Amino acid sequence: MSFRSRPPATNLNRRTFLGASLGAGLIVALEACGGTSSGTGSASGSGTIKWAWQLPTTWDPVTSSAGSDVQMLALAYDPITALDQQGNAIPWLAESWKYDSSGKKVTFTLRPGLKFSDGSPLDATAVAKSIERGRSQDGSLIAPQMKTIKKVSASGALDVVVELKEVDYQYPLLFAGKTGMVVNPAVFEKDAASLATQPAGSGPFQVTKYTQNDHASAKKNANFFAADEIKVDAFELYPQADPATAVAAVQSGQYNLARIGGAQVKQARDAGLDVQILESMFVSVLDVHAGKAPFNDPAVVEALKFALDREKIKEVANFGIGDVNYQPFPPGYVGYNPELAEVYAHNPDKARQILADAGYQDAVPATLTSSGFAPAAVELIQAQLKEVGIEVKIETIPQTQHTQLVYIEHSKALAYDGFAGRESPVQAFQVLFGAEGLMNPSRQSNPDLEAQLKKVKETPTDDPAYPALLQEATRIAVTTYPNTFLYLTPSIIARKGVSALPKSPSLRRFEGVSTS
Amino acid sequence: MKTLVALWRVPSARLALLVLFGVGFLAVFGGALAPHDPLQQYTDEVLQGPSAHHLLGTDYVGRDVLSRLMEGTRLSVVGAVEAVLIGGLLGVPAGLASAWLGPRLEWITLRTSDTLVVLPFTVFAIAVAGTLGNGLQQAMVAIGVLISPVFFRVTRAATLGLRKVQYVEAAELMGATEWWTLRRHIWSKVLPNVAVTAAHATGSALLVVASLAFLGLGVTPPAPTWGGMLSSDLGYLAQQPWAPVFPALLMMATVGSLNLLADAIRDATGATAAPRRRTRPAVAAAAREERPDVVTV
Repeated sequence: MSFRSRPPATNLNRRTFLGASLGAGLIVALEACGGTSSGTGSASGSGTIKWAWQLPTTWDPVTSSAGSDVQMLALAYDPITALDQQGNAIPWLAESWKYDSSGKKVTFTLRPGLKFSDGSPLDATAVAKSIERGRSQDGSLIAPQMKTIKKVSASGALDVVVELKEVDYQYPLLFAGKTGMVVNPAVFEKDAASLATQPAGSGPFQVTKYTQNDHASAKKNANFFAADEIKVDAFELYPQADPATAVAAVQSGQYNLARIGGAQVKQARDAGLDVQILESMFVSVLDVHAGKAPFNDPAVVEALKFALDREKIKEVANFGIGDVNYQPFPPGYVGYNPELAEVYAHNPDKARQILADAGYQDAVPATLTSSGFAPAAVELIQAQLKEVGIEVKIETIPQTQHTQLVYIEHSKALAYDGFAGRESPVQAFQVLFGAEGLMNPSRQSNPDLEAQLKKVKETPTDDPAYPALLQEATRIAVTTYPNTFLYLTPSIIARKGVSALPKSPSLRRFEGVSTS
Repeated sequence: MKTLVALWRVPSARLALLVLFGVGFLAVFGGALAPHDPLQQYTDEVLQGPSAHHLLGTDYVGRDVLSRLMEGTRLSVVGAVEAVLIGGLLGVPAGLASAWLGPRLEWITLRTSDTLVVLPFTVFAIAVAGTLGNGLQQAMVAIGVLISPVFFRVTRAATLGLRKVQYVEAAELMGATEWWTLRRHIWSKVLPNVAVTAAHATGSALLVVASLAFLGLGVTPPAPTWGGMLSSDLGYLAQQPWAPVFPALLMMATVGSLNLLADAIRDATGATAAPRRRTRPAVAAAAREERPDVVTV
């Protein structure tokens, strides 16, 4: 189980997060075709996308244990809402939503004529049942995110009413991810276990075959509400290609779309492949356990933050692709706090001084746990920490044990990982800094942050005060929690005979993508 | 010494010994003689080609490849030798006991050997590393245990043949103790076979150690090993397509030399069914049939 996706490799120079986007255009187009295309989307597609990316931990969004699974699940499921480039909620299955004046009840109005891939109607009752399952089923991993829901009900065929225990304006954002993915009740009421290998949603593709750890095959879902936008008739999903063979695999036609690393960009371009760098919300991070030595001393944590030359790590390990970042959100995102742009800029002298002032005369021993990915970054971190007097031993553990040891058992003091982002910034805070946050190894909480997040939740996302409140929460979290953010890592994609993917920081989508 | 002299007369053995001496020298003095600190990162000189400053270039964080190869020899070779020693310590006494003490131990040792033989090296080592923690010692213990059946079988086969030869029976009839007979008549005949097996097994262990390092098991970074270097080089083939050649060549030369040496030991000590130089194959074969102490490995 892992809460990170493999790093989408890397990026180039300054971000264009706020740039005009194909994704925005696509959303407009989807809005335009809205209900008219539902159920009639048998538009002729041709070709097959063979995507070497990653296989999900499960095809059931309720029990999915990896944040990055959302990428693959979005092939088969539709969320209630979606996100635009700035991270704002926009219509998807729901064409609109409205909070009541108390902020404790929100009504999502679905597009008319929606259907699941098996042709059964996707109406308000189905959505309500799906949400109810997510928040009540044993073993649900999305239930904690819906703790403030008091009741979910259908009102007519199109209105889904969500009643809350407290004011929370985050639900339209939250429902843009796994939490809002609608699962066909006819399937989970009969055999919920089957969802692990056979998804039952309404997304652009319908999985026809799934071989665990090998590949998944899917065909175009004619019942997808925007089926006209799907230009291919089949989709094959594979695990990420080995860096040594990724480019050759695309060249040879084994895949026509593959994620590659920064080290392969030049090779891919030289081979005549199209290389596309897509901004993502993935940020590399050092998970620091504030309850374990030596990081139970705040001075060591502060020294750690100043000791790291993130720019150098990015240059060497990521071939210059990506952007140094000291916070969990990318520039342009509503939660990004510009005041933190240089908050822990590399300053080894200051790091040494902090350790000296704290009384450390000898090297401070520590162990850095890694699951073996990004070895260059891990080894650079080790060397940089050594320079300031933190003697780090690298411990490599199998990837399958990483989440268990680091996030469940909290047995590691320092671990290299990445945060794939969440649809709701409050959800991101809960995961990274919450008292039950899985990426908060010490589970320590900060009352100031909790109070600030309460203000954020109680503020409508379109309120002018919302960005400032959120950014203040970011400041509190970054400056008081030990987790150390390093750099943003875009997705690098090598394409052959496949048109460009829409730009979208949170999801890789395939509307409008064609093969030749 | 007599065996060494005999080996030296064989050209292939001479070559193998020279290569292995070089590897042994690197294993002992490589780290000290390395032109750079093998862990020093020259981050402004990442993935450079060979130059006067870095004779074999630099790796993905700017470390000197030559220095890492020299330093990495120690861990790679020590790991393999350690595994073979463990295998020998477990397998040889068990093989002797199984043949000499008869049914008392035979059944248990044979079944244990059969069980270990079916376990795949790499998977078993991964399982051990997963259980006991990822480290060189854990991995070598795992490999040593799996190598032990090879020593067991060779030792047992040789001992079984010797058990019934006339001079052994005569010694027993004349009142020699089992320990004396084992030491005087059996061990000296079994040893050449063990030596041949050890040479072969060291080559195999070297490859397994490299395979585990390739998979990220055994030695933890940033310590260099041949397998680890090979693994990391494969991620940067676009920048340095020639980089894997250096650790691969060292591995090939070492394993090849060990195999050549094993053949030469077999020839030189008579622990072979196929002498290297024989002018009369038919006679040699006939002579072999008359020598029950000779075991084909």
